[in-house]
Amino acid sequence: MMMGSSFPEEVLEHVFSFIERDKDRNAISTVCQSWYEIERWSRRRVFVGNCYAVSPLILIKRFPDVRCLELKGKPHFADFNLVPEGWGAYVSPWIAAASTAYPWLEEIRLKRMVISDDSLELISKSFKNFKVLVLSSCEGFSTEGLAAIAANCRNLRELDLRESEVEDLNQSSGHWLSHFPDNYTSLVSLNIACLNSEVSFTALERLVGRCPNLRTLRLNRAVPLDRLAILLRRAPQLVELGTGEASDLRPDVFSNLSGAFSGCKELKSLSGFWDVAPGYLPVVYPICPRLTSLNLSYAATIQSSDLIKLVSQCHNLQKLWVLDYIEDLGLEALSASCKDLRELRVFPSEPFGVEPNVLLTEQGLVSVSEGCPKLHSVLYFCRQMSNDALRTIARNRPNMTRFRLCIIEPRTPDYLNHQSLDVGFGAIVEHCKDLRRLSLSGLLTDRVFEYIGTYGKKLEMLSVAFAGDSDLGLHHVLSGCENLRKLEIRDCPFGDKALLANAAKLETMRSLWMSSCSVSFGACKLLGQKMPRLNVEVIDERGPPGSRPESCPVEKLYIYRTISGQRFDMPGFVWTKDENSALGLS
Amino acid sequence: MELQLALALPVHNSVKGFDLNDGDIESKEPVASQLWSYGGSLESKKCLKNKRSSEEAFGKMGGGVPQTFPLMVWSGQPNEEDDRNGQNRKTSSIVNKNEVEENHAVGWPPIKSWMKKQLHQQQQQQQQQQQGGRVKNDGVAERSGGRNSLYVKVKMEGVAIARKIDLRLFHSYQALTNTLISMFDKEQKFDKNGVSYTLTYQDKEGDWLLAGDVPWQTFIESVQRLGIVRNGG
Repeated sequence: MMMGSSFPEEVLEHVFSFIERDKDRNAISTVCQSWYEIERWSRRRVFVGNCYAVSPLILIKRFPDVRCLELKGKPHFADFNLVPEGWGAYVSPWIAAASTAYPWLEEIRLKRMVISDDSLELISKSFKNFKVLVLSSCEGFSTEGLAAIAANCRNLRELDLRESEVEDLNQSSGHWLSHFPDNYTSLVSLNIACLNSEVSFTALERLVGRCPNLRTLRLNRAVPLDRLAILLRRAPQLVELGTGEASDLRPDVFSNLSGAFSGCKELKSLSGFWDVAPGYLPVVYPICPRLTSLNLSYAATIQSSDLIKLVSQCHNLQKLWVLDYIEDLGLEALSASCKDLRELRVFPSEPFGVEPNVLLTEQGLVSVSEGCPKLHSVLYFCRQMSNDALRTIARNRPNMTRFRLCIIEPRTPDYLNHQSLDVGFGAIVEHCKDLRRLSLSGLLTDRVFEYIGTYGKKLEMLSVAFAGDSDLGLHHVLSGCENLRKLEIRDCPFGDKALLANAAKLETMRSLWMSSCSVSFGACKLLGQKMPRLNVEVIDERGPPGSRPESCPVEKLYIYRTISGQRFDMPGFVWTKDENSALGLS
Repeated sequence: MELQLALALPVHNSVKGFDLNDGDIESKEPVASQLWSYGGSLESKKCLKNKRSSEEAFGKMGGGVPQTFPLMVWSGQPNEEDDRNGQNRKTSSIVNKNEVEENHAVGWPPIKSWMKKQLHQQQQQQQQQQQGGRVKNDGVAERSGGRNSLYVKVKMEGVAIARKIDLRLFHSYQALTNTLISMFDKEQKFDKNGVSYTLTYQDKEGDWLLAGDVPWQTFIESVQRLGIVRNGG
């Protein structure tokens, strides 16, 4: 390529430094050999969507100077206990490799991975300029590991433990915070909401007091309100706050807190609200007009009327996560007051109750879809739905990009005409041309998959449960959805045919999960043998699949593309082709 | 699309007629075209059936697996150790198994364990307070939402959805009934004769009693749930 040789490398490198998106970087690296080389040496940010798709060695070989690493481990359904413990997603080989290869690593972001205290310690000691640690839905570590991070990461800016499982070890419980040295002042973001036990309040207060750039503070439940007031006065510059628990309504605390909140002129995001006595809510009324994000999904003590009073004042709200206590009436109020709403999540307060405990129906969602023109991301749990409602929502919001509907009882039909919800979801995919993520529920036949395959051209992730009639359904999706990256299916009558006929499709996707379906062990073997660039994992806790007939359906199946071959850390309940099977039968 | 078929076909050919989907090992017809000659919806009607059981779907296969298929031995991975990279940890109080889910499908409805735990804990606290029935009047109990909020279910006869109400907000039967009337206002189907309702409650022993007979404080200490029943015919 002529152009490549006429520019000095430094110039190209400088130009490439403006190119940040992975897609664009991948594209420029294919132009010619020299561009490939320059690009790979200058790539600073790498995202690995499936930690088993590539190995640390391959990563380091191609990108020798990475500063920000993001890894994802277990499949999404692990969030709902469908992936047995011990399945994998261990980050330690990555940390070990990075500790020598990337001394200038600054950021590590992990999702659904298992990280040990040893790894945390290694991180804290290997990367002198370490700045950001985000552990999202991770597990395997304790407050000991956090103590190491606190003690050694002099330049730490962000420590975010969102929804991880952290073991509290008695000896350091709460005191890991005091491992931050007295001269450490660079904290910008701290999220410890998931910690079960108390943290040392003195340490927390001193930390907050000496870090002038702190903008995000998400406390855990154990921090009571009167303490919160102290923290707020120390950090009035906060932009994002997660409260602790607030159950004890006392007038002195109330007024103290009111004063503290009124000093926080920058506050835009609120969360927490555990055990909140509704009498406290007025303390946040003054900041409601500035709020853009409100997470009330743990506020099990706030009922409809208080929720309405609260959200009606949040005229600039963009994101609301709330329990179904908000009810249809509250969602109507939301749609009238919050015209800038972009994302809504409504969670069930009693997911396992048989009868509805709140007046939340499809109507709430319809109201919001009518009143909020920017609404594009929805997660909605409810107990009834109709095709009419779905059609209305689809027509109201063709700009929808993420639509996840969970009708709590599996296979619930349209409550008005008792038919399937095929046409309703069909309307969603037809009208919402930019739909990237979709979760289905209710009574659904193969028809809905035909709609999805026909219209879901931009669809990247699809979640299916208790739906469909035959392999045809799966075939529609695999053959029709051109941009499909992740497909997760549970309890559907999909078997071998669609899977085998669309084997090649699987190499264009990140992963496919199927559990409680009808895929036979024989088909899994065949797929594994014929498709060397796929890992076909049979997850079966009943014992060796080989001890049952080949036609027997497997419990769970996880298929993902990979360039690093079989993984070496599989537990006893994961079955895959023998490493020595060579080229199979060809 | 072509690529898909091209890769699907050799699955069949190179296996010399082995086909999971076809019991006849002599057949040379490729899997793909045999099953998926999708021109459009015509074929889909052919294939659209009721949900098939596994036996129906796989019955043929069970008998059709040829003995000559050189099976690759699928071995489970030998790494049985539990302790891997220090993973042998005691887990903290994780709701890992479905202790809350008893007769429901695992992992359904799809709520993160983290959230389930939070809700469960808060609801347990509410229940404990109901059963304890402690009256902690810390002076601001007149204000709404005292610490010991006492949420009870209120079920009105003929109404599908039960509501919840915090009894700590009230200090007399009158106040309670007034609120209940406005809460269920739209549910009341008064006909011209004027149907009236009676407030009942279930006490700690499980008995249903008429509300109003005992002093308010006694009522508060033993009430578990409320019921609104229609009078007469």
